[in-house]
Amino acid sequence: MSEPELLLDPDIRIWVFLPIVLVNLLVGIVRHYVSVLISTQKKVDVTQVQDSQAMIRARLLRENGKYIPKQSFLMRRHFFNNEDTGYLKTVKRASNPQPMTDPNMMIEMLKGNVTNVLPMIAIGGWINWTFSGFVTTKVPFPLTLRFKPMLQRGIELLSLDASWVSSVSWYFLNVFGLRSIYTLVLGENNAADQARIMEEQMSGAAMSMTQDTKAAFKNEWEALEICDHKWALKDIETELIKRAEVEC
Amino acid sequence: MHWEEVRDKFRIWREDNSRHSEEVVDLWVNYLQSQKHKLGDEQWMVEEQVFIAGLDCGRLDVADQCFIALSKQFPGSVRVLKLKGMRLETLERHEDALTIYDAIIREDETNSTARKRKVAVLKSQGRIQEAIKELIEYLSKFMSDGEAWQELADFYIKEGDYGKAAYCMEELILQNPHNHLYYTRYAEIKYTQGGAENLELARNYFSMAIKLNPINIRAYYGLIVSCSSSITSSKLTSSKKKEIQKLSDWAQKKLTQRYEEEKSKSIKMDKLQESLNSLCITDKSCSS
Repeated sequence: MSEPELLLDPDIRIWVFLPIVLVNLLVGIVRHYVSVLISTQKKVDVTQVQDSQAMIRARLLRENGKYIPKQSFLMRRHFFNNEDTGYLKTVKRASNPQPMTDPNMMIEMLKGNVTNVLPMIAIGGWINWTFSGFVTTKVPFPLTLRFKPMLQRGIELLSLDASWVSSVSWYFLNVFGLRSIYTLVLGENNAADQARIMEEQMSGAAMSMTQDTKAAFKNEWEALEICDHKWALKDIETELIKRAEVEC
Repeated sequence: MHWEEVRDKFRIWREDNSRHSEEVVDLWVNYLQSQKHKLGDEQWMVEEQVFIAGLDCGRLDVADQCFIALSKQFPGSVRVLKLKGMRLETLERHEDALTIYDAIIREDETNSTARKRKVAVLKSQGRIQEAIKELIEYLSKFMSDGEAWQELADFYIKEGDYGKAAYCMEELILQNPHNHLYYTRYAEIKYTQGGAENLELARNYFSMAIKLNPINIRAYYGLIVSCSSSITSSKLTSSKKKEIQKLSDWAQKKLTQRYEEEKSKSIKMDKLQESLNSLCITDKSCSS
Protein backbone atom coordinates (compact mmCIF):
# COMPACT_ATOMS: atom_id res chain seq x y z
CA MET A 1 0.00 0.00 0.00
CA SER A 2 1.34 3.36 -0.94
CA GLU A 3 1.95 6.08 1.59
CA PRO A 4 -1.13 8.36 2.01
CA GLU A 5 -0.49 11.84 0.71
CA LEU A 6 -1.51 13.49 3.96
CA LEU A 7 -1.61 12.14 7.44
CA LEU A 8 -4.03 13.98 9.72
CA ASP A 9 -3.44 14.39 13.40
CA PRO A 10 -5.98 12.27 15.35
CA ASP A 11 -6.53 15.34 17.52
CA ILE A 12 -8.13 17.00 14.52
CA ARG A 13 -10.72 14.26 14.51
CA ILE A 14 -11.45 14.61 18.21
CA TRP A 15 -11.25 18.38 18.55
CA VAL A 16 -12.37 19.65 15.14
CA PHE A 17 -14.26 17.07 13.12
CA LEU A 18 -16.56 15.76 15.81
CA PRO A 19 -17.16 19.09 17.62
CA ILE A 20 -18.39 20.68 14.38
CA VAL A 21 -20.94 17.89 13.93
CA LEU A 22 -21.96 18.09 17.55
CA VAL A 23 -22.27 21.87 17.62
CA ASN A 24 -24.37 21.81 14.50
CA LEU A 25 -26.67 19.14 15.82
CA LEU A 26 -27.19 20.83 19.15
CA VAL A 27 -27.76 24.22 17.58
CA GLY A 28 -30.34 22.66 15.29
CA ILE A 29 -32.19 21.10 18.19
CA VAL A 30 -32.11 24.30 20.23
CA ARG A 31 -33.31 26.25 17.21
CA HIS A 32 -36.21 23.86 16.78
CA TYR A 33 -37.40 24.38 20.33
CA VAL A 34 -36.83 28.12 20.23
CA SER A 35 -38.92 28.44 17.10
CA VAL A 36 -41.62 26.33 18.72
CA LEU A 37 -41.50 28.69 21.70
CA ILE A 38 -41.73 31.97 19.87
CA SER A 39 -43.88 31.05 16.93
CA THR A 40 -47.44 32.30 17.01
CA GLN A 41 -50.46 30.62 15.57
CA LYS A 42 -51.34 32.53 12.47
CA LYS A 43 -54.86 33.81 12.50
CA VAL A 44 -56.58 33.61 9.19
CA ASP A 45 -59.24 36.04 8.29
CA VAL A 46 -62.52 34.48 7.24
CA THR A 47 -62.75 36.75 4.22
CA GLN A 48 -59.31 35.57 3.19
CA VAL A 49 -60.48 31.98 3.29
CA GLN A 50 -63.60 32.89 1.41
CA ASP A 51 -61.66 34.67 -1.30
CA SER A 52 -59.23 31.86 -1.81
CA GLN A 53 -62.00 29.28 -1.93
CA ALA A 54 -63.87 31.36 -4.45
CA MET A 55 -60.73 31.56 -6.52
CA ILE A 56 -60.33 27.80 -6.39
CA ARG A 57 -63.92 27.34 -7.44
CA ALA A 58 -63.56 29.77 -10.33
CA ARG A 59 -60.42 28.01 -11.49
CA LEU A 60 -62.13 24.62 -11.31
CA LEU A 61 -65.01 25.99 -13.31
CA ARG A 62 -62.59 27.19 -15.93
CA GLU A 63 -60.75 23.89 -16.09
CA ASN A 64 -63.54 21.37 -15.69
CA GLY A 65 -66.47 23.42 -16.92
CA LYS A 66 -66.66 21.28 -20.02
CA TYR A 67 -68.00 18.38 -17.98
CA ILE A 68 -71.22 20.10 -16.99
CA PRO A 69 -74.04 21.17 -19.29
CA LYS A 70 -73.72 24.49 -20.99
CA GLN A 71 -76.52 26.10 -19.07
CA SER A 72 -74.96 25.17 -15.76
CA PHE A 73 -71.64 26.52 -16.90
CA LEU A 74 -73.17 29.83 -17.96
CA MET A 75 -75.06 30.05 -14.71
CA ARG A 76 -71.87 29.73 -12.70
CA ARG A 77 -70.00 32.12 -14.89
CA HIS A 78 -72.77 34.58 -14.42
CA PHE A 79 -72.38 34.18 -10.67
CA PHE A 80 -68.71 35.05 -10.88
CA ASN A 81 -68.53 37.46 -13.77
CA ASN A 82 -71.77 39.34 -14.12
CA GLU A 83 -71.11 43.07 -14.47
CA ASP A 84 -73.50 44.15 -11.76
CA THR A 85 -73.81 41.23 -9.39
CA GLY A 86 -70.88 38.94 -10.18
CA TYR A 87 -68.82 37.73 -7.26
CA LEU A 88 -65.49 38.67 -8.76
CA LYS A 89 -66.85 42.08 -9.69
CA THR A 90 -68.71 43.16 -6.60
CA VAL A 91 -66.58 41.83 -3.79
CA LYS A 92 -64.28 44.67 -2.95
CA ARG A 93 -61.30 43.92 -0.87
CA ALA A 94 -58.82 46.54 0.15
CA SER A 95 -55.62 45.61 -1.55
CA ASN A 96 -53.24 44.30 1.00
CA PRO A 97 -50.70 46.70 2.41
CA GLN A 98 -47.09 46.24 1.50
CA PRO A 99 -45.59 43.51 3.62
CA MET A 100 -42.93 45.87 4.90
CA THR A 101 -45.42 48.27 6.45
CA ASP A 102 -47.40 45.57 8.18
CA PRO A 103 -45.95 45.26 11.68
CA ASN A 104 -47.16 41.68 12.12
CA MET A 105 -45.37 40.67 8.99
CA MET A 106 -42.24 42.38 10.25
CA ILE A 107 -42.33 40.47 13.50
CA GLU A 108 -42.81 37.19 11.65
CA MET A 109 -39.85 37.95 9.45
CA LEU A 110 -37.78 38.94 12.42
CA LYS A 111 -38.61 35.70 14.15
CA GLY A 112 -37.57 33.77 11.08
CA ASN A 113 -34.32 35.64 11.01
CA VAL A 114 -33.62 35.25 14.69
CA THR A 115 -34.11 31.51 14.60
CA ASN A 116 -32.56 30.73 11.26
CA VAL A 117 -30.11 33.22 9.95
CA LEU A 118 -28.58 34.61 13.08
CA PRO A 119 -27.34 31.32 14.57
CA MET A 120 -26.00 30.33 11.20
CA ILE A 121 -23.97 33.50 10.91
CA ALA A 122 -22.83 33.35 14.49
CA ILE A 123 -21.79 29.71 14.46
CA GLY A 124 -20.31 29.99 11.00
CA GLY A 125 -18.27 32.97 12.08
CA TRP A 126 -17.16 31.25 15.22
CA ILE A 127 -16.12 28.12 13.38
CA ASN A 128 -14.35 30.16 10.78
CA TRP A 129 -12.49 31.95 13.54
CA THR A 130 -11.62 28.92 15.65
CA PHE A 131 -10.97 26.23 13.11
CA SER A 132 -9.88 28.14 10.04
CA GLY A 133 -7.23 26.51 7.99
CA PHE A 134 -7.82 22.92 9.05
CA VAL A 135 -8.10 20.05 6.70
CA THR A 136 -10.56 17.89 8.59
CA THR A 137 -11.48 14.92 6.45
CA LYS A 138 -11.40 13.43 3.06
CA VAL A 139 -14.30 12.27 0.97
CA PRO A 140 -13.70 8.68 -0.10
CA PHE A 141 -13.82 9.31 -3.80
CA PRO A 142 -11.87 11.48 -6.23
CA LEU A 143 -13.32 14.82 -7.24
CA THR A 144 -12.50 17.31 -9.95
CA LEU A 145 -10.92 20.70 -9.41
CA ARG A 146 -14.27 22.40 -9.63
CA PHE A 147 -15.13 21.14 -6.16
CA LYS A 148 -12.17 22.85 -4.57
CA PRO A 149 -13.93 26.14 -3.73
CA MET A 150 -16.84 24.17 -2.33
CA LEU A 151 -14.97 21.70 -0.20
CA GLN A 152 -11.85 23.66 0.65
CA ARG A 153 -13.07 27.02 1.71
CA GLY A 154 -10.43 28.77 3.73
CA ILE A 155 -7.54 26.77 2.31
CA GLU A 156 -6.03 28.04 -0.85
CA LEU A 157 -3.61 25.30 -1.75
CA LEU A 158 -3.38 24.55 -5.42
CA SER A 159 -1.60 21.23 -4.95
CA LEU A 160 -4.09 19.77 -2.48
CA ASP A 161 -6.32 17.04 -3.88
CA ALA A 162 -9.93 18.18 -4.28
CA SER A 163 -11.34 15.43 -2.11
CA TRP A 164 -9.96 16.91 1.09
CA VAL A 165 -12.52 18.89 3.08
CA SER A 166 -11.69 21.97 5.11
CA SER A 167 -13.26 22.74 8.45
CA VAL A 168 -15.47 25.58 7.22
CA SER A 169 -16.71 23.51 4.33
CA TRP A 170 -17.35 20.65 6.72
CA TYR A 171 -19.49 23.02 8.73
CA PHE A 172 -21.55 23.91 5.67
CA LEU A 173 -21.90 20.31 4.66
CA ASN A 174 -23.28 19.69 8.13
CA VAL A 175 -25.70 22.60 7.99
CA PHE A 176 -27.32 21.24 4.90
CA GLY A 177 -26.85 17.55 5.52
CA LEU A 178 -28.20 17.14 9.04
CA ARG A 179 -31.85 17.66 8.17
CA SER A 180 -32.73 14.00 8.08
CA ILE A 181 -30.98 13.48 11.39
CA TYR A 182 -33.11 16.23 12.89
CA THR A 183 -36.26 14.50 11.77
CA LEU A 184 -34.88 11.38 13.39
CA VAL A 185 -34.04 13.09 16.66
CA LEU A 186 -36.96 15.48 16.89
CA GLY A 187 -39.34 12.89 15.56
CA GLU A 188 -41.29 15.14 13.25
CA ASN A 189 -42.76 12.28 11.36
CA ASN A 190 -43.76 9.81 14.00
CA ALA A 191 -46.81 11.77 15.08
CA ALA A 192 -47.65 13.87 12.08
CA ASP A 193 -51.02 15.25 12.96
CA GLN A 194 -53.33 14.51 10.07
CA ALA A 195 -56.26 16.55 11.26
CA ARG A 196 -54.16 19.61 11.87
CA ILE A 197 -52.53 19.28 8.47
CA MET A 198 -55.97 19.06 6.92
CA GLU A 199 -57.07 22.20 8.66
CA GLU A 200 -53.89 23.93 7.66
CA GLN A 201 -54.56 22.99 4.09
CA MET A 202 -57.94 24.61 4.36
CA SER A 203 -56.59 27.84 5.68
CA GLY A 204 -53.23 27.33 4.04
CA ALA A 205 -54.83 27.87 0.69
CA ALA A 206 -55.65 31.31 1.96
CA MET A 207 -52.06 31.89 2.88
CA SER A 208 -50.55 30.85 -0.37
CA MET A 209 -52.90 33.12 -2.25
CA THR A 210 -51.53 36.00 -4.15
CA GLN A 211 -51.00 38.97 -1.92
CA ASP A 212 -53.21 41.25 -3.85
CA THR A 213 -56.75 39.94 -3.89
CA LYS A 214 -57.95 42.64 -6.21
CA ALA A 215 -55.45 41.83 -8.92
CA ALA A 216 -56.02 38.10 -8.51
CA PHE A 217 -59.76 38.56 -8.86
CA LYS A 218 -59.27 40.65 -11.96
CA ASN A 219 -57.04 37.99 -13.51
CA GLU A 220 -59.51 35.27 -12.73
CA TRP A 221 -62.34 37.38 -14.12
CA GLU A 222 -60.48 37.85 -17.37
CA ALA A 223 -59.60 34.20 -17.69
CA LEU A 224 -63.17 33.16 -17.00
CA GLU A 225 -64.51 35.74 -19.41
CA ILE A 226 -62.59 34.34 -22.37
CA CYS A 227 -63.24 30.75 -21.32
CA ASP A 228 -65.40 28.98 -23.86
CA HIS A 229 -67.72 26.12 -23.04
CA LYS A 230 -67.13 22.99 -25.10
CA TRP A 231 -69.28 20.26 -23.73
CA ALA A 232 -67.13 17.17 -23.27
CA LEU A 233 -70.12 14.84 -23.30
CA LYS A 234 -71.50 15.99 -26.61
CA ASP A 235 -70.49 12.94 -28.59
CA ILE A 236 -70.49 10.42 -25.81
CA GLU A 237 -73.57 8.58 -27.04
CA THR A 238 -72.31 8.16 -30.58
CA GLU A 239 -69.01 7.06 -29.13
CA LEU A 240 -70.71 4.33 -27.14
CA ILE A 241 -72.83 3.32 -30.14
CA LYS A 242 -69.69 3.01 -32.22
CA ARG A 243 -68.18 0.89 -29.53
CA ALA A 244 -71.29 -1.24 -29.58
CA GLU A 245 -71.04 -1.67 -33.33
CA VAL A 246 -67.43 -2.74 -33.05
CA GLU A 247 -68.32 -5.30 -30.44
CA CYS A 248 -71.18 -6.73 -32.49
CA MET B 1 -51.94 -8.63 18.94
CA HIS B 2 -49.03 -6.34 19.69
CA TRP B 3 -49.69 -2.74 20.65
CA GLU B 4 -47.54 -1.46 17.81
CA GLU B 5 -49.71 -3.24 15.26
CA VAL B 6 -52.76 -1.63 16.80
CA ARG B 7 -51.09 1.75 16.65
CA ASP B 8 -50.29 1.33 12.97
CA LYS B 9 -53.82 0.21 12.26
CA PHE B 10 -55.22 3.25 14.04
CA ARG B 11 -52.88 5.46 12.12
CA ILE B 12 -54.04 4.08 8.77
CA TRP B 13 -57.67 4.54 9.75
CA ARG B 14 -57.01 8.10 10.82
CA GLU B 15 -55.32 8.87 7.55
CA ASP B 16 -58.16 7.33 5.53
CA ASN B 17 -60.76 9.16 7.59
CA SER B 18 -62.50 5.86 8.18
CA ARG B 19 -63.96 5.36 11.59
CA HIS B 20 -64.18 1.59 12.27
CA SER B 21 -65.62 2.63 15.58
CA GLU B 22 -66.36 -0.76 17.12
CA GLU B 23 -62.96 -2.13 16.22
CA VAL B 24 -61.24 0.97 17.53
CA VAL B 25 -62.96 0.71 20.88
CA ASP B 26 -62.28 -3.04 21.12
CA LEU B 27 -58.63 -2.77 20.22
CA TRP B 28 -58.16 0.18 22.54
CA VAL B 29 -59.69 -1.52 25.54
CA ASN B 30 -57.95 -4.83 24.95
CA TYR B 31 -54.50 -3.87 23.75
CA LEU B 32 -53.61 -0.23 23.59
CA GLN B 33 -54.99 1.35 26.73
CA SER B 34 -52.44 -0.20 29.03
CA GLN B 35 -49.63 0.86 26.70
CA LYS B 36 -50.80 4.36 25.91
CA HIS B 37 -47.88 6.12 27.56
CA LYS B 38 -45.62 4.47 24.98
CA LEU B 39 -47.30 6.30 22.12
CA GLY B 40 -45.56 9.61 22.70
CA ASP B 41 -47.22 12.61 21.13
CA GLU B 42 -49.42 10.35 19.09
CA GLN B 43 -51.26 9.41 22.26
CA TRP B 44 -53.50 12.47 22.07
CA MET B 45 -54.57 11.84 18.54
CA VAL B 46 -55.35 8.24 19.40
CA GLU B 47 -57.34 9.41 22.43
CA GLU B 48 -59.33 11.71 20.18
CA GLN B 49 -59.96 8.88 17.75
CA VAL B 50 -61.04 6.53 20.52
CA PHE B 51 -63.23 9.24 22.01
CA ILE B 52 -65.14 9.67 18.77
CA ALA B 53 -65.34 5.92 18.29
CA GLY B 54 -66.64 5.58 21.83
CA LEU B 55 -69.38 8.10 21.11
CA ASP B 56 -70.25 6.23 17.94
CA CYS B 57 -70.79 2.97 19.79
CA GLY B 58 -72.35 4.51 22.86
CA ARG B 59 -69.39 3.46 25.02
CA LEU B 60 -69.48 6.61 27.08
CA ASP B 61 -67.26 5.05 29.76
CA VAL B 62 -64.40 4.73 27.27
CA ALA B 63 -65.06 8.11 25.72
CA ASP B 64 -65.14 9.91 29.03
CA GLN B 65 -61.77 8.52 30.06
CA CYS B 66 -60.27 9.83 26.85
CA PHE B 67 -62.01 13.14 27.25
CA ILE B 68 -60.69 13.63 30.76
CA ALA B 69 -57.17 12.88 29.58
CA LEU B 70 -57.47 15.23 26.63
CA SER B 71 -58.92 18.13 28.56
CA LYS B 72 -56.25 17.73 31.20
CA GLN B 73 -53.56 17.84 28.53
CA PHE B 74 -55.00 20.69 26.48
CA PRO B 75 -57.04 23.00 28.68
CA GLY B 76 -58.75 25.69 26.63
CA SER B 77 -58.18 23.99 23.33
CA VAL B 78 -60.78 24.63 20.66
CA ARG B 79 -60.39 21.13 19.34
CA VAL B 80 -61.21 19.62 22.73
CA LEU B 81 -64.13 21.99 23.03
CA LYS B 82 -65.46 20.58 19.79
CA LEU B 83 -65.19 17.09 21.26
CA LYS B 84 -67.18 18.27 24.25
CA GLY B 85 -69.85 19.43 21.85
CA MET B 86 -69.89 16.03 20.20
CA ARG B 87 -70.32 14.39 23.59
CA LEU B 88 -73.33 16.59 24.26
CA GLU B 89 -74.70 15.57 20.89
CA THR B 90 -74.47 11.93 21.89
CA LEU B 91 -76.38 12.71 25.05
CA GLU B 92 -78.98 14.40 22.84
CA ARG B 93 -78.44 17.75 24.50
CA HIS B 94 -78.54 19.41 21.11
CA GLU B 95 -79.07 22.98 22.24
CA ASP B 96 -76.05 22.85 24.55
CA ALA B 97 -73.96 21.44 21.75
CA LEU B 98 -75.07 24.23 19.46
CA THR B 99 -74.05 26.87 22.01
CA ILE B 100 -70.61 25.29 22.23
CA TYR B 101 -70.20 25.28 18.47
CA ASP B 102 -71.36 28.88 18.30
CA ALA B 103 -68.77 29.79 20.88
CA ILE B 104 -66.07 28.08 18.84
CA ILE B 105 -67.10 29.94 15.71
CA ARG B 106 -67.06 33.23 17.59
CA GLU B 107 -63.54 32.46 18.75
CA ASP B 108 -62.24 31.29 15.40
CA GLU B 109 -64.27 32.30 12.41
CA THR B 110 -62.39 30.01 10.08
CA ASN B 111 -63.14 26.86 12.06
CA SER B 112 -64.85 24.75 9.46
CA THR B 113 -65.42 21.66 11.59
CA ALA B 114 -67.54 23.50 14.13
CA ARG B 115 -69.76 24.87 11.39
CA LYS B 116 -70.14 21.41 9.93
CA ARG B 117 -71.00 19.96 13.31
CA LYS B 118 -73.77 22.53 13.63
CA VAL B 119 -75.24 21.23 10.41
CA ALA B 120 -74.92 17.70 11.74
CA VAL B 121 -76.80 18.62 14.91
CA LEU B 122 -79.64 20.14 12.92
CA LYS B 123 -79.72 17.10 10.69
CA SER B 124 -79.91 14.67 13.59
CA GLN B 125 -82.80 16.70 14.98
CA GLY B 126 -84.57 16.40 11.67
CA ARG B 127 -84.54 20.16 11.13
CA ILE B 128 -83.60 19.75 7.49
CA GLN B 129 -84.65 23.22 6.37
CA GLU B 130 -82.50 24.87 9.00
CA ALA B 131 -79.64 22.52 8.23
CA ILE B 132 -79.85 23.51 4.58
CA LYS B 133 -79.78 27.17 5.53
CA GLU B 134 -76.79 26.64 7.75
CA LEU B 135 -74.98 24.64 5.12
CA ILE B 136 -75.56 27.29 2.47
CA GLU B 137 -74.17 29.85 4.86
CA TYR B 138 -71.14 27.61 5.31
CA LEU B 139 -70.73 27.06 1.59
CA SER B 140 -70.83 30.77 0.88
CA LYS B 141 -67.65 30.96 2.93
CA PHE B 142 -66.02 27.65 2.02
CA MET B 143 -67.04 27.24 -1.58
CA SER B 144 -64.66 24.51 -2.57
CA ASP B 145 -65.60 22.01 0.12
CA GLY B 146 -66.78 18.97 -1.79
CA GLU B 147 -68.05 17.14 1.29
CA ALA B 148 -70.40 19.97 2.08
CA TRP B 149 -71.74 20.12 -1.46
CA GLN B 150 -72.40 16.40 -1.30
CA GLU B 151 -74.26 16.74 1.97
CA LEU B 152 -76.32 19.59 0.53
CA ALA B 153 -77.20 17.45 -2.47
CA ASP B 154 -78.42 14.75 -0.07
CA PHE B 155 -80.53 17.27 1.79
CA TYR B 156 -82.10 18.57 -1.39
CA ILE B 157 -82.86 15.08 -2.60
CA LYS B 158 -84.49 14.38 0.72
CA GLU B 159 -86.59 17.50 0.26
CA GLY B 160 -87.38 16.60 -3.34
CA ASP B 161 -85.73 19.73 -4.70
CA TYR B 162 -83.99 18.02 -7.58
CA GLY B 163 -82.94 21.13 -9.50
CA LYS B 164 -80.87 22.35 -6.59
CA ALA B 165 -79.53 18.88 -5.89
CA ALA B 166 -78.39 18.72 -9.51
CA TYR B 167 -76.60 22.01 -9.01
CA CYS B 168 -74.69 20.54 -6.07
CA MET B 169 -73.76 17.45 -8.05
CA GLU B 170 -72.49 19.67 -10.86
CA GLU B 171 -70.26 21.34 -8.32
CA LEU B 172 -68.86 17.93 -7.35
CA ILE B 173 -68.30 16.99 -10.98
CA LEU B 174 -66.38 20.22 -11.41
CA GLN B 175 -64.19 19.31 -8.50
CA ASN B 176 -63.59 15.77 -9.57
CA PRO B 177 -64.49 15.17 -13.20
CA HIS B 178 -63.16 11.63 -13.21
CA ASN B 179 -65.38 10.13 -10.56
CA HIS B 180 -67.98 7.97 -12.29
CA LEU B 181 -70.17 7.84 -9.18
CA TYR B 182 -70.81 11.58 -9.37
CA TYR B 183 -71.87 11.20 -12.99
CA THR B 184 -74.21 8.36 -12.14
CA ARG B 185 -75.75 10.33 -9.30
CA TYR B 186 -76.16 13.41 -11.45
CA ALA B 187 -77.77 11.41 -14.23
CA GLU B 188 -80.14 9.80 -11.75
CA ILE B 189 -81.21 13.20 -10.48
CA LYS B 190 -81.75 14.41 -14.02
CA TYR B 191 -83.74 11.28 -14.86
CA THR B 192 -85.90 11.80 -11.82
CA GLN B 193 -86.58 15.37 -12.87
CA GLY B 194 -87.89 14.12 -16.18
CA GLY B 195 -88.63 16.08 -19.34
CA ALA B 196 -87.04 15.57 -22.75
CA GLU B 197 -84.04 17.78 -22.08
CA ASN B 198 -83.25 16.28 -18.71
CA LEU B 199 -83.63 12.78 -20.10
CA GLU B 200 -81.10 13.56 -22.77
CA LEU B 201 -78.70 14.86 -20.14
CA ALA B 202 -79.34 11.76 -18.07
CA ARG B 203 -78.51 9.54 -21.04
CA ASN B 204 -75.33 11.44 -21.69
CA TYR B 205 -74.19 11.34 -18.11
CA PHE B 206 -75.00 7.66 -17.69
CA SER B 207 -72.95 7.06 -20.82
CA MET B 208 -70.09 9.07 -19.38
CA ALA B 209 -70.19 7.05 -16.19
CA ILE B 210 -70.05 3.84 -18.26
CA LYS B 211 -67.15 5.21 -20.23
CA LEU B 212 -65.23 6.01 -17.05
CA ASN B 213 -66.07 2.72 -15.41
CA PRO B 214 -67.25 -0.01 -17.78
CA ILE B 215 -68.55 -2.19 -14.94
CA ASN B 216 -70.82 0.43 -13.38
CA ILE B 217 -73.94 -1.74 -13.33
CA ARG B 218 -76.14 0.99 -11.90
CA ALA B 219 -75.23 3.23 -14.83
CA TYR B 220 -76.22 0.48 -17.30
CA TYR B 221 -79.60 0.14 -15.67
CA GLY B 222 -79.95 3.90 -15.63
CA LEU B 223 -79.04 4.13 -19.29
CA ILE B 224 -81.65 1.52 -20.20
CA VAL B 225 -84.46 3.20 -18.29
CA SER B 226 -83.59 6.68 -19.51
CA CYS B 227 -83.38 5.40 -23.09
CA SER B 228 -86.76 3.72 -22.89
CA SER B 229 -88.39 6.85 -21.47
CA SER B 230 -86.74 9.00 -24.14
CA ILE B 231 -88.05 6.85 -26.96
CA THR B 232 -91.65 7.35 -25.89
CA SER B 233 -91.41 11.10 -26.38
CA SER B 234 -92.67 12.20 -29.77
CA LYS B 235 -90.27 15.05 -30.41
CA LEU B 236 -87.34 12.96 -31.54
CA THR B 237 -86.51 12.17 -35.15
CA SER B 238 -86.68 8.56 -36.15
CA SER B 239 -82.93 8.31 -36.76
CA LYS B 240 -82.28 9.60 -33.28
CA LYS B 241 -84.76 7.09 -31.94
CA LYS B 242 -82.94 4.34 -33.72
CA GLU B 243 -79.67 5.42 -32.16
CA ILE B 244 -81.15 5.47 -28.71
CA GLN B 245 -82.62 2.03 -29.30
CA LYS B 246 -79.20 0.80 -30.31
CA LEU B 247 -77.67 2.26 -27.18
CA SER B 248 -80.23 0.67 -24.98
CA ASP B 249 -79.83 -2.71 -26.72
CA TRP B 250 -76.12 -2.51 -26.23
CA ALA B 251 -76.50 -1.71 -22.54
CA GLN B 252 -78.87 -4.65 -22.12
CA LYS B 253 -76.44 -6.94 -23.85
CA LYS B 254 -73.65 -5.74 -21.63
CA LEU B 255 -75.76 -6.40 -18.56
CA THR B 256 -76.66 -9.91 -19.64
CA GLN B 257 -73.02 -10.59 -20.40
CA ARG B 258 -72.09 -9.39 -16.98
CA TYR B 259 -74.65 -11.64 -15.33
CA GLU B 260 -73.48 -14.61 -17.37
CA GLU B 261 -69.97 -13.94 -16.18
CA GLU B 262 -71.07 -13.73 -12.60
CA LYS B 263 -73.03 -16.94 -13.01
CA SER B 264 -70.09 -18.84 -14.40
CA LYS B 265 -67.98 -17.40 -11.63
CA SER B 266 -70.37 -18.62 -9.00
CA ILE B 267 -70.36 -22.02 -10.64
CA LYS B 268 -66.63 -21.99 -10.34
CA MET B 269 -67.00 -20.98 -6.74
CA ASP B 270 -69.26 -23.99 -6.22
CA LYS B 271 -66.63 -26.22 -7.68
CA LEU B 272 -64.02 -24.63 -5.49
CA GLN B 273 -66.17 -25.21 -2.47
CA GLU B 274 -66.67 -28.82 -3.53
CA SER B 275 -62.99 -29.44 -3.87
CA LEU B 276 -62.36 -27.71 -0.56
CA ASN B 277 -64.95 -29.94 1.04
CA SER B 278 -63.31 -33.01 -0.34
CA LEU B 279 -60.06 -31.92 1.24
CA CYS B 280 -61.59 -31.71 4.67
CA ILE B 281 -61.58 -34.63 7.00
CA THR B 282 -64.74 -33.66 8.81
CA ASP B 283 -67.65 -31.89 7.26
CA LYS B 284 -68.23 -29.60 10.16
CA SER B 285 -65.08 -27.54 9.85
CA CYS B 286 -65.82 -26.50 6.29
CA SER B 287 -69.52 -26.17 6.21
CA SER B 288 -69.30 -22.96 8.20
